[in-house]
Amino acid sequence: MKVFKKIIIFLLIAFVGIQFIPTTRNESTEILKTDFAQHFDVPQDIQSLLKKSCYDCHSNNTSYPWYNKFQPVSWMLQNHVNNGKKELNFSEFGAYSNRKQKSKLKSIISQIRDDEMPLFSYTIIHGDAKLSESDKNLIMAWLTKLRDDL
Amino acid sequence: MTKTIYVLALSILFLSACKNDKKPSESSEAPAQEMHMEEAGGHDHGGHDHDASIGESSSKEDRTITATTEKNSATSEIIDGYLQLKNALADDSQDDAAKAGTAILTAFSNFDMTKLTDAQHKEYMEIVENAKEQAEHIVKSPIDHQREHFEVLSNDVNDLIALLGTDKTLYETFCPMYNNKKGAIWLSETDEIKNPFLGSKMLTCGKVQKQIN
Repeated sequence: MKVFKKIIIFLLIAFVGIQFIPTTRNESTEILKTDFAQHFDVPQDIQSLLKKSCYDCHSNNTSYPWYNKFQPVSWMLQNHVNNGKKELNFSEFGAYSNRKQKSKLKSIISQIRDDEMPLFSYTIIHGDAKLSESDKNLIMAWLTKLRDDL
Repeated sequence: MTKTIYVLALSILFLSACKNDKKPSESSEAPAQEMHMEEAGGHDHGGHDHDASIGESSSKEDRTITATTEKNSATSEIIDGYLQLKNALADDSQDDAAKAGTAILTAFSNFDMTKLTDAQHKEYMEIVENAKEQAEHIVKSPIDHQREHFEVLSNDVNDLIALLGTDKTLYETFCPMYNNKKGAIWLSETDEIKNPFLGSKMLTCGKVQKQIN
């Protein structure tokens, strides 16, 4: 019993301790000229779908959930967002080469079509980020047209 | 005993704090490396200025590369990796395609960029950035995804050959069925049709539309 108590105390201290470790937040109020919505003429409905379902992990500005204030959640999200941005960053989309823009659009379309994005682990918490069939068709049709025109 | 626990907890705190500190410096190294690569490629200035138009056309709007007829063996390793991938996909082999993806990545890192002219360099970098990404996905994806990335990669390799040339004889082949009947091209070492997009489902679909060399 005594050992058990000590383990609890230990874990508690460790938990409190890690709260002091800072993580950089992926937040920026500046909207870059290279942002997808600045670079292309994006209709309002498409842009709001992209914002809601993609931008949290694929742009320079994440709207964080309240529990992000706690470690280790904060780390996990930071890591997740970093990976997401490396793969695709809507804030910098306009700076991609024409070639890269085309292949990114292709990947976006096929990931949405196959329900691989937005991630299940994300939509399970962010119910509103889930794309309905009609949302999907709307986005895919518009992105396909954009890609063909590039 | 209680003391030891406190000490332990504190040391964990410091250790993890240190780890966290390192991260920013690691990530800041990546752009620096890229810079070096660009410098390395830029060294060769030797009188190839007449090629400048290639670099110009790589800007936003129109970017059709004027195809070179130069017999260049420097691109051979990349093309070999690509053909290996093409044949693996025609055989419906996810496993061999993944191996070919690795071979392509190796070929790109072995490529000697110091021989490129300034004009070629920018275009080359864009092609490579894109092509490598496709290859990375091919290494770790199921076969239908490999084929989607292969489609993009085919355009990249085709443009690479137009930019730098090859000493191989290749056939640009068109498959009208793939990609919702939008069609797609692939390159082959033979004019016998073995469709890498559709594999055994429709192995002989496609027609040669251009011969290189």
